[in-house]
Amino acid sequence: MLRKLAARSPWLYRINTGSCNGCDVELLTTACIPRYDVERLGCRYCGSPRHADIVLITGPLTVRLKDKVLRVWEEIPEPKVTVAVGICPVSGGVFRGGYSIAGPVDKYLPIDINVPGCPPRPQAIIEGVIKARDAWLARMGG
Amino acid sequence: MLDFLKILAGNVFKGPSTDGFPFTQAHTPRRFRGKVHLNPALCVGCTICRHVCAGGAIHIAERPDGSGYDYTLWHNTCALCGLCQHYCPTGALSTSGDWHNAHPQSEKYQWCERHFVPFLSCDGCGAPLRPLPPALTGRIYADNHVDAARLMRLCPRCRQIETAMHAREASHEAQSGS
Repeated sequence: MLRKLAARSPWLYRINTGSCNGCDVELLTTACIPRYDVERLGCRYCGSPRHADIVLITGPLTVRLKDKVLRVWEEIPEPKVTVAVGICPVSGGVFRGGYSIAGPVDKYLPIDINVPGCPPRPQAIIEGVIKARDAWLARMGG
Repeated sequence: MLDFLKILAGNVFKGPSTDGFPFTQAHTPRRFRGKVHLNPALCVGCTICRHVCAGGAIHIAERPDGSGYDYTLWHNTCALCGLCQHYCPTGALSTSGDWHNAHPQSEKYQWCERHFVPFLSCDGCGAPLRPLPPALTGRIYADNHVDAARLMRLCPRCRQIETAMHAREASHEAQSGS
């Protein structure tokens, strides 16, 4: 029964892998501003990777942060759904080919949903979260 | 001092300011820059869009058989800056209001705009020739009384010959007239 109830409310966790902060601001906007309010969908941000169900990754994955990001990502319990927010984690974006860029993120982590944009607007992020929730439910088997 | 009471009373009747999306349609501002679209009928393949593209999203490659060129724009690295739209001389590129960009990883490399723009063949010698849209042709030959539509179907070499022939005929006519 707990599983049935919990399935409605995936918790979100943000990982910034060297983002310019644009996408992080949009993620913040999506949750904290009543106009967009992702918490209507039962989602909320959590502070610990161990509580998370959906991971939102921003940034092009810099060389310095690569190992730390992988370590944090490993700590998130299965089943988890990984969402790449912005063009940087998806393809490297405008930073692609830079000396300090190890990404794109899908070289190291299995990404499930991509939300490109520079940054994507809050509604696009909500759309991505909904797709991620569907993928997460499918992975939970219900 | 008691202004806040007015605001309070107003807020009681105003209802929530939350945007209804995903349960209703979201409002998109008129000049919102969403996914970029190419109109292949207007593209001349000048590659200025590839040159100014911040994210390196545009790839233009001529086919080895000379039949035309392939135009690929990958939305997954497009920064939506609108520079391509600004610099496109023919207005072939435009940003749409479409921001529905979330897609599963399996579609990552299909998430692009693909077009094939065929070359014309020269009316004189049959050499492949980039098509030029009438709007641009009109601008180039704005002050000349020539048959621009005919000239634009000729390769530069045949165009030179055609123009020289016209000039010679005109000079002959002028001589015989005087």
